[in-house]
Amino acid sequence: MLQARGLTKRYGGLLALDQVSFDLQPGEIVGYLGPNGSGKSTTVNLVVGLLEPSRGELSLSGIRVADDPIAYKRQIGYVPEEPTLYAHLTAGEYLMLVGRLRRLPTATLEARIPALLRLLQLQDSRHKAMTAFSKGMRQRVLVAAALLHNPRLLVLDEPFSGLDVNAGLLLRTLLQLLAREGRMIFFSTHRFDMVEKLCSRVIVLSSGRIALERRVADFAPDGPESLEATFVRATHQPDFEPLAREILDAISGT
Amino acid sequence: MLRDHPVVVLARHFFASLFDAGVLSEEGAESLKRVLLGGLSLAIAGGLLLVRIFMAKYGELSAAPPEAYLREVIADHAFLMALPMWIVAAAMALAGSSLFPDETDFRILMAQPLARADVFAAKLAALLTFAGLFVAGTHAGVLPLAALTLLGAAKTGSIVLAALAFVAASVAASVCAAVGVVAVHGLAVLLGSRRRLLAFSGAVRVLLIGGLVLVLPLVTRLPATADAFAGDAWWLAWTPPAWFAGLERWLLGDASRGWLAVRAVTATGAAIAIAIGAYVRLYRRFDRVTYQTPVAARTGDRERPAAAWRRSAPVGGAVRRFVTVTLRRSVLHQGLVVGLLTAAGSLVLNSLLGADWQASHLDALEADAPVVVLLWAPMTILFLSIPAIRLALSVPMDLRANWIFRMTEDVEGRAEVADAGVHAVLWWAVAVPLALLAPLQAWIMGPAVLGVLLVEAAIGWVLVERQMADWRRVPFTCAYIPGKGFVPQMCVKAFAQYVVFTVLTGVALRASLRTPGIALVLALVLAAIAVVLLRRRTREAKAMPLLFEEQVPSELTPLRLNAD
Repeated sequence: MLQARGLTKRYGGLLALDQVSFDLQPGEIVGYLGPNGSGKSTTVNLVVGLLEPSRGELSLSGIRVADDPIAYKRQIGYVPEEPTLYAHLTAGEYLMLVGRLRRLPTATLEARIPALLRLLQLQDSRHKAMTAFSKGMRQRVLVAAALLHNPRLLVLDEPFSGLDVNAGLLLRTLLQLLAREGRMIFFSTHRFDMVEKLCSRVIVLSSGRIALERRVADFAPDGPESLEATFVRATHQPDFEPLAREILDAISGT
Repeated sequence: MLRDHPVVVLARHFFASLFDAGVLSEEGAESLKRVLLGGLSLAIAGGLLLVRIFMAKYGELSAAPPEAYLREVIADHAFLMALPMWIVAAAMALAGSSLFPDETDFRILMAQPLARADVFAAKLAALLTFAGLFVAGTHAGVLPLAALTLLGAAKTGSIVLAALAFVAASVAASVCAAVGVVAVHGLAVLLGSRRRLLAFSGAVRVLLIGGLVLVLPLVTRLPATADAFAGDAWWLAWTPPAWFAGLERWLLGDASRGWLAVRAVTATGAAIAIAIGAYVRLYRRFDRVTYQTPVAARTGDRERPAAAWRRSAPVGGAVRRFVTVTLRRSVLHQGLVVGLLTAAGSLVLNSLLGADWQASHLDALEADAPVVVLLWAPMTILFLSIPAIRLALSVPMDLRANWIFRMTEDVEGRAEVADAGVHAVLWWAVAVPLALLAPLQAWIMGPAVLGVLLVEAAIGWVLVERQMADWRRVPFTCAYIPGKGFVPQMCVKAFAQYVVFTVLTGVALRASLRTPGIALVLALVLAAIAVVLLRRRTREAKAMPLLFEEQVPSELTPLRLNAD
């Protein structure tokens, strides 16, 4: 189980995250929603161990990140928001690098890497440096890298960004299967539709605090009790129509 | 308004991008400016020294007959033309990737309501401004020296005509250098296959930078070539500054220099024609030439993708392979390694050119005896190349991508990562230079070279372990800030260390040359020291986390004037 207790993160004088607590059970897919600047990326970076909290604690399967960050991080697979990888490598080289850094046996890598490349439809491009890859292709490489060591917790930050329809459907089905097998999936996104289709629970963040936490099944499909309408209320979003009209006026003027 | 015209706006953008260091953070770019300013002040100091030398020389020549003046001035003018040529060519080579509109320009600009002609016109305007800036700036720099050399021209004709001929020939030389670099890159565009275009163009850029660094000592030797000019030495036909010095004399009516002038005009014309041809071809096929797959793995990698990563410790092996692949594919890092190694090589080349090859016996003690030069040269290369390669490994590839190393860091891996960095420095800064010099040393020193090589390798190992003692980063993954220390102080300290190092190692190597037994003992002692340093480094590497953010040392130095 992933446990976050009182997570707080300060950047100098800026409070990015304030006393955020949540749990993630095996087999659960939790959607993490929030407007830009609400602290979503900070939470993700804390959960994967790339940032240290200013206060609070995180533990995964009983291992506290503060006590043993290496053992904690070993259990996690991560797909970052931007497809940031060493694009001068080929997809195979990148996966081999990640596998070796994770100390996976060579035989395992030799079996898993070609299989993942084939299943994620990267086989034909396996000898090209990733500088030539589209965003979606890079995203698929990152998904493969995150799955390579069969992690207990998958942390996905906008994993569907750039994926085409087929790859998106494949990833969605894969995540559901992984959850059924007992993996934990922490899914940060802006897309309500994906949360509704994929997640069992949703956490909404606003100004660094949890504004809402609820089972997805409890939302109505539309209307004032839908996920979207609840999100807008919980995060105090403005009425967008006047704003849209202002934009229209701005581009219509001289 | 002209300044708001799309071509002008675009030209300004292209011009600014020619100065973009790319890999540096804002903090790093500021630091780089300080380093460049330090370099500029060193150049000014060197220039002032040259002024003194030229004042003394041309003061003496003012009393000498006109023939003596003419004999000397052609070599000095070749030197004064070579300086701007070198700087302009270096600037153009460094800006190599921005000399032609590229794929990014195609993707972004062709989506805007801009004509292809606008993009090319803006690129050309930026390029001409960039080259013009360097041509004008460098000529402003050599002007005081040129003025000194022209004072004696009154004896042989009009000073004004002589000055005009010098400026015309020198500017033509710089233009030839600038267009020459564009032409070489243009040839890559014309001849390179579409798939390999970027890789080919990158390799050309690296070779150009390496070549320029290597010929730098030859430039400094030009003032001493008056005899070669007087005797029409064969190598003048292969020395571009000599062609333009000849063009200057030909413009002033000296028909005997016509053959050099012909070469100057032909080379400039050919360079311009190739550059224009490349631009025209790219203009016609902008979509096809630039829009391609940049880099593909080599065939060997295709056949056995896992084998190359399998060696030794998993993390260390992976990082070593990462270093190899990065050096093979990153133009920036190739340029750094080649540029820094050729800088060390150029110093040695300079000494070898100045060696007295008649005094080739093993007991020679004269500073210019080949054996002395060849005992000094590898130590000089080691002293310069080890920190240079360390520096090249410190420059990041893509900082945002280093999260994968941060997420997978472990205690054993830290030592393996440190070993991978040390391995790269040992290979590039010790093994490669020593192997390159070994045949020449063997030729001069005979079988005794074996002991010398053993000691040299052991010295290199100790020096690498010493320099890499605090290495706690994965190569190419940590933020890099150039010139963190106080540059003049660092230069003085490094020079003092260099003197002590070369004197001590010189004594050790000479003893090793004379007595093989001493070589063996020295090598064993040095290897033992290296092993001790290695163990300490490994122990400390495991205890400390890897470094991913380089910090600028605090600007504040507390004086601690109070007792508490």
